[in-house]
Amino acid sequence: MLSLAQNPRLLRLQNLHQIPLKCLHTSPIPTPTPSPSPSKPTSQILKIRKSLLSRETTAVEIAKTFLDRLRRTEPHLKSFLYISPADAVLKQAEEIDRRIQNNEEVGPLAGVLVGVKDNICTSDMPSTAGSKILENYRPPYDATAVKKLRENGAIIVGKTNLDEFGMGSTTEASAYQVTANPWDLSRVPGGSSGGSAAAVSARQCVVSLGSDTGGSVRQPASFCGVVGLKPTYGRVSRYGLVAYASSLDVIGCLGSSVADTGIVLQAVSGHDKFDATSSKQGIPDFASQFIPSDYLDSKPLNGLRVGVIRETLEDGVDPDVISSLQGAASHLEDLGCTISEVSFPSFSVGLPAYYILASSESSSNLARYDGVRYGNQIFADELSSLYGHSRAGGFGTEVKLRILMGTYALSAGYYDAYYKRAQQVRTLVQKSFKAALEENDVLISPAAPSVAYRIGEKKNDPLAMYAGDIMTVNVNLAGLPALVLPCGFVEGGSSSLPVGFQMIGSAFDEEKLLKIGHIFEQTLQGCCFVPPLVANDF
Amino acid sequence: MGSRAFMVFLTHRGSSINPISNVSHLFLKKTPVQYKNQRTQKYFSTKAKSSLEPPNLPRLAETARISLTPDEVEEFAPKIRQVVDWFGQLQAIDLENVEPAIRADTEGDNMRDDLPQNFQNREAIITALPSYEEPYIKVPKVLNKE
Repeated sequence: MLSLAQNPRLLRLQNLHQIPLKCLHTSPIPTPTPSPSPSKPTSQILKIRKSLLSRETTAVEIAKTFLDRLRRTEPHLKSFLYISPADAVLKQAEEIDRRIQNNEEVGPLAGVLVGVKDNICTSDMPSTAGSKILENYRPPYDATAVKKLRENGAIIVGKTNLDEFGMGSTTEASAYQVTANPWDLSRVPGGSSGGSAAAVSARQCVVSLGSDTGGSVRQPASFCGVVGLKPTYGRVSRYGLVAYASSLDVIGCLGSSVADTGIVLQAVSGHDKFDATSSKQGIPDFASQFIPSDYLDSKPLNGLRVGVIRETLEDGVDPDVISSLQGAASHLEDLGCTISEVSFPSFSVGLPAYYILASSESSSNLARYDGVRYGNQIFADELSSLYGHSRAGGFGTEVKLRILMGTYALSAGYYDAYYKRAQQVRTLVQKSFKAALEENDVLISPAAPSVAYRIGEKKNDPLAMYAGDIMTVNVNLAGLPALVLPCGFVEGGSSSLPVGFQMIGSAFDEEKLLKIGHIFEQTLQGCCFVPPLVANDF
Repeated sequence: MGSRAFMVFLTHRGSSINPISNVSHLFLKKTPVQYKNQRTQKYFSTKAKSSLEPPNLPRLAETARISLTPDEVEEFAPKIRQVVDWFGQLQAIDLENVEPAIRADTEGDNMRDDLPQNFQNREAIITALPSYEEPYIKVPKVLNKE
């Protein structure tokens, strides 16, 4: 359990907004508590690989540890919609052990337990996208990202909960269950990849896949104190991702360290003939960015230009979130970065533009769930009633609302006023980012205007819910990569709540984000992002 | 929190205290989005800004093929109106001569040749069909009676 007394970083961050920032550089940096020293985030994937190859442990033992924790924590969290039977998981682990025993080659993700968001297709598990309309749907194929994970030795442990079709920011819009935040069970884990973030946070699995249309990997990463990576649009094949808004959707990764998200990205990246929007750009060796902290000099990020997006720190953002971002900025400055401020004039209009595009595209994409091609069929004498009743029974409220809004925006005569204008705003947003990233290596902002809020707090106010996406949607409009990583804690009732910040890079420059992110987390003193729920295990 | 969050967008640029102004080398280029009419700058106002017809929910539901219950119509109508009004703020921005971007400007098309290919797991697709009578897939009646 974290407390103020045990966590000097927390003190530092909390006091920050009361002190003029320049004082920070002259004030002594609090020394981390020597014992028990919160360990630096280490790559769980590399740790597993090392312990397997050195025969220190077995894949079966590792799998058992995770399955045991999963069994213990899942009744509180409900992060999974489907959990692989234990014997299926152990069978795959045994096969890995057998190969290692025989000195056969094993993939870089051998023995790594992965949670997969339930809107990503898996051939041996249901894939419901959190919707009743796809209840019991079993795809006849694996999504390319899942296929690649398996080829690399990963074991898919289950399917994680989400807001129906990814439409939501809390995971409360799942047709099946509400997932709790591992840091405070009365709060939401964020969304829509809330299950994927909660599962990694509570160490129910090592890493997970999510999807990010407007922030659905990044905001839950911030709420749950894990690392979330949204790759460049086109970096990862979307074959097998249930389409929501095709001009924005990407598959992303969540992990408990920057290195883990980078290793997963490495595995799932690349062009795929089944997805014409997947890129043919070369894939750099992301792992080469992860320099062990012992080899870092005192200013490892010297000369790097970091721009703080001014519009993300205005009224309406929690002061605690702002001070956390300032703390992150000053930490980056300590590491040698030059911090400056960037103005982003079209920032706020990106939000309605995003919602026009997303709802319009969803109204078209979700037309396929008609009770005939997909989905539970509700019988009717006449065809349009069959469609209407099947869709009425299969979709939840938020999905219906978005389809209806999108239908409105795409109505004859309205296209120019809504969809086209939103696309023009997208051009402005892309230009703003381009200009800002010509003068800066990366841009930073909060990941969300607040920390995790209470379950039910925003359920009936769509605009309040949408407002929470302001920090992330512009990045999707421009298709840029962004990394969210935990940077501090905010006092929030029963326990401290983690808070993350967002780092945005140029298209296909995930490498730089991972490099900076890795150094940031390795040098951040005194923070331990393991939630109280499972702290005894570590 | 919700209504407060909206204030972010309501704030006139430059009027708030800059919380990180003490960080070195600040630069601030103030080139706000151009509005046709300065009065519409408070774009979170829910007053309709356009002459476009407000949403007609029963018609939308019919177009979208979603049967709504009377309770849903009552619940959804104000929410949809509220969001559509909010969408309306884009009418106030001067977007003349701005090209629309159909998606992220990251890479051109990577289209494969338009050739038919066999799906590898054909059996699984057929097994998943609710009703299959070789060689026909049985679907609900799709033609209405005369």
